[in-house]
Amino acid sequence: MTAAIAVGLLVAGGVYLVLQRNLIRVVVGFVLLGHAVNVLVVSAGGMDRRGLPLIGQGDPGQAADPLPQAFVLTAIVITFGITVHLLALVQAGGPADDEERPDEERPDEERAPSGPERGQR
Amino acid sequence: MLPVGDGGDGVILVLSLAAMLLLAAAAPPVHRRLGRTTGYVLAAGFAGVGGLLATQVPTVLDGGAVTTSWQWMPSLQVSFSLRLDGLAGLFCLIVLGVGVLVMAYCPRYMGDSGRNGVVYGLLTLFAGTMLGLVLAADLVLLYVFWELTTICSFFLIATAGQVAVRPARRALLVTAAGGLALLVAVVMLSVVVGTTDLATVLAERERVLASPLAWPIGGLIAFAAFTKSAQLPLHFWLPGAMVAMTPVSAYLHAATMVKAGIYLLMRTTPLFAGQPAWSALLITVGLASAVGGAFMALREHDLKAILAQSTVSQLGLLIAVIGVGTPVALAAAMLHTFAHALFKATLFMLVGVIDRETGSRDIRELSGLRRVMPVTATVTALAALSMAGVPPMLGFVSKEYLFQGLLEADVTSWSGVVAGALGVTASALTFAYGMRIVHGAFGGPTRQPDLYEPSAAFLAPAALAALAGVVLGPGIDLLNPMVTRAAADVVYAGAVPEFSFWHGLSPEVVMSAITIAVGTVLFLRRDAVDRALQRVRLPDGGALFDRTHDAVLALGTAVGRPDRSTDLTGHLARPLIALVVLGAVGTVAVDGLPSRGPTDRLLDWPVLALLALAVLGTVLTRSLLAAVGLVGVVGLVVAVWFLLAGAVDVALTLLLVEVLTAVVAVLVLRRLPTRLRRAAAPRRAVAAALGVAVGVAAAVATLALTGRRDLSGTGGYFLDAAEPETGGTNVVNTILVDFRGMDTLGEAIVLGAAAVGLLVLLGSEPGAPRSGTPPAGPTPAPRADGGLVLQVAAQVLVPGMAVLSAYLLWRGHDEPGGGFIAALVGGIAVGLHQVAHAFPGLPRYLRPAPLVGAGLLLALGTGAAAALQGRPFLTPFDIPVLGAVGIGSPLLFDLGVYLLVLALLVTAFDRLGADPAGSAPAGSAPAAEDAAPPAPSGPAGAQVPDHRPPAGRAAAAAPPTRRGPR
Repeated sequence: MTAAIAVGLLVAGGVYLVLQRNLIRVVVGFVLLGHAVNVLVVSAGGMDRRGLPLIGQGDPGQAADPLPQAFVLTAIVITFGITVHLLALVQAGGPADDEERPDEERPDEERAPSGPERGQR
Repeated sequence: MLPVGDGGDGVILVLSLAAMLLLAAAAPPVHRRLGRTTGYVLAAGFAGVGGLLATQVPTVLDGGAVTTSWQWMPSLQVSFSLRLDGLAGLFCLIVLGVGVLVMAYCPRYMGDSGRNGVVYGLLTLFAGTMLGLVLAADLVLLYVFWELTTICSFFLIATAGQVAVRPARRALLVTAAGGLALLVAVVMLSVVVGTTDLATVLAERERVLASPLAWPIGGLIAFAAFTKSAQLPLHFWLPGAMVAMTPVSAYLHAATMVKAGIYLLMRTTPLFAGQPAWSALLITVGLASAVGGAFMALREHDLKAILAQSTVSQLGLLIAVIGVGTPVALAAAMLHTFAHALFKATLFMLVGVIDRETGSRDIRELSGLRRVMPVTATVTALAALSMAGVPPMLGFVSKEYLFQGLLEADVTSWSGVVAGALGVTASALTFAYGMRIVHGAFGGPTRQPDLYEPSAAFLAPAALAALAGVVLGPGIDLLNPMVTRAAADVVYAGAVPEFSFWHGLSPEVVMSAITIAVGTVLFLRRDAVDRALQRVRLPDGGALFDRTHDAVLALGTAVGRPDRSTDLTGHLARPLIALVVLGAVGTVAVDGLPSRGPTDRLLDWPVLALLALAVLGTVLTRSLLAAVGLVGVVGLVVAVWFLLAGAVDVALTLLLVEVLTAVVAVLVLRRLPTRLRRAAAPRRAVAAALGVAVGVAAAVATLALTGRRDLSGTGGYFLDAAEPETGGTNVVNTILVDFRGMDTLGEAIVLGAAAVGLLVLLGSEPGAPRSGTPPAGPTPAPRADGGLVLQVAAQVLVPGMAVLSAYLLWRGHDEPGGGFIAALVGGIAVGLHQVAHAFPGLPRYLRPAPLVGAGLLLALGTGAAAALQGRPFLTPFDIPVLGAVGIGSPLLFDLGVYLLVLALLVTAFDRLGADPAGSAPAGSAPAAEDAAPPAPSGPAGAQVPDHRPPAGRAAAAAPPTRRGPR
């Protein structure tokens, strides 16, 4: 139950953020979605057994399923790799469109004059 | 002589094909050396291959066949098998005979231009594939050669350049569609008969006809033949293909490639001959094309266009008599195939001669050439008379038998008469346009008196073929053995007749007389006929095809448009909406799940409450730093949740990752405004609605699909087997490095790829200027470092963290730790050092690219070492000396993973941390209300360098605009 609510919360927040225009928000949303999936995978192993999957420590009958944990461990690191990559994309100036405008369909040409202003600063 | 009998020498067939391929490959280089003489070399080569095949002719004429077979796809029972029988021999004669003539014609027509080497190569390659097509003794092989001829044809048409774009495309698409139909038919036949061996399939007439697939097979084969042989209503590609140079038209689009359809129908006649539906289809389409093509030919003014439409017409006659399917009809089809190749190739070559000499092919411009080019005129007249079916030409004999064959059509009681009448109509029109060609070019007043006869070498190939057409009429006995032997291969029932030049006052002779009489009238009244014909409006199949083609492309563009958008939201929203739909469908459809066990603990609820607060804060905040900080908090809460779930390694990893994410994020955020704008209301509403919907779907799915079973079998296996099998007690780590090392390898490689991606995105030199603008100020702002405290702290902590990192790596097999976690600790050490000293650049041993390489080599090498010992890739093994101190191959593998993760981290710190002074300092320009102080809970103590110029007020006066490096 708690796992399901946690997944729902993280997904709702993540989806809201990835649908924003600001790229940093999209990256943050992506991180939340990553958390959601990781919680889902671990809970798929079963939340009734919560012992550490370390041989010789604790009750073997209560040890949690180690396979989802292995999946999630690598998934976390890969999510991190992708997050860093996304951040680098933001910095490298992909579609650096971090401002909301009333009319979102404005063509690219109208956004162009930003270089000269920067020079004046 | 060779021994006679079934068998012969099959190697000859393979040698012939190989020789053609060799000639094709040699043509371009030979052309560079010899120029146009290449044509003669290739003609000699063709003749040589012909001679090679001729050694097997006695075997074939004795009723035998020469075969050879190699295994090709044994699992499908498909073999590379070739077979030379009578029918194949006849077509080989046409391919190589006309090939020799066309190759000998090419030099004078094409000249020395460098591009022609390719044309020679393609023509020879085509000849080779055409030989392969008629020799193929396996249906799959036949299909492959069929498509290869299509492709050769496409490229040869395309050599004409820009004007050929649309015609070449039409030819390719129409004939390739037929090729696909043939493929489907081949598959069906192999399903019905159980083999693709041509001879076996053809012998199974009863079985094929009894199967429910009989009519689809027959229809598809007929369709394939109709496309290749340009039958109505798909004929339009053939006149279009006339943009190709004349040798190509003469060889492919008159004599050989378009005959591939005829060959296919002849070959499959034993399966379908005598079936009313098959006969009716072939006769109807064939005669419609025969009359329609002749009619269109009579309307044309361009000599090549006349000939192209004429080819449609003549091929239609052939298909009609194949449809009749009696011995006489089939024999007539064989003879006329040969006769047509001879006179049509001749006429094309002569049109090429006229075009070259006068600069025109339009009979409205040409006139009276007989006075200046008498030899050309004579030769043309001979070929045209053969086409018109005038005695004593070969065309006369073959047409007589065509008429005889058509009269035997017995689909209904009156079909023979109707077929005969339509055949006479087409032939009368043929006579008329044949005369039109001769008269149009050579008759009338001479307008270009300063022209002269082309050289003998230019005329010789055409003249030779025309003379053969004259001689072989009365000398039909020379052809009899070959043609009757060929007909014997396909005749289903009955004896094959011998041809004779004159066979009494039969109905056919009367029909020939009517043909010539009506044709003469049409010719004499040509002005009236021409006016009448020009008034008829015909639908333009080519234009219709092009419109359809464009419409299909437009449809594709429309369908694909959403995916070409650069709007991120659109791309992301669609799969999310699909998720909601999936959730709704699942809620309705999934039923009867096992009951859920008790899964919640009391301590879960406060964690969940914290999580809810943190997520809400992350979503709502408008401060960039707060957003980064709050998402870090979310991560920490999730880590606690993992800890509660018994996933200690996961929790540890996540904690470290959150710290690193925050550091990297702040490095990037230095360049961005610290305030986020509120999204427009509609966007917020849509995003919130979709977020709630997807969130509910995800929660319901989690509730439905988890917590309903005991420990999984796989999980139980790992818990039981980890220690005995690997010696490790940390089960999660043993899964990572022992049981599922291959997965881990793949995942580590992803991280290595991300590191390389950063290098590409951000430049391989740290701090390389990425925007063209140099710093605005005369003196760059002083570099901000972490201050004394941080530097001292780093001095103390970094060595300790390095040792801790190594320790975590070493103990990972038994206790929480391992390559991923250890590398994250190591990465934090590097990050701390970098931040404290304001990104001084990396020491040599931490260069990203070598780290990636070393990690990959180590991880792959460990796996490969196991493979070298004859065990599966990545099998753990003991290392002789290091084993004593607890170092085995899993640790080496983990070290590889460690290096790859570390590579990503150092790359991120180095490239993202590079001093942004090279471009305008970000976060400096925003208007006053945006310049909020950094949140006091700034993550991980990262210091945000402050390069703010003192001109705050001036900047504030400027309208807020986009800023930051692009």
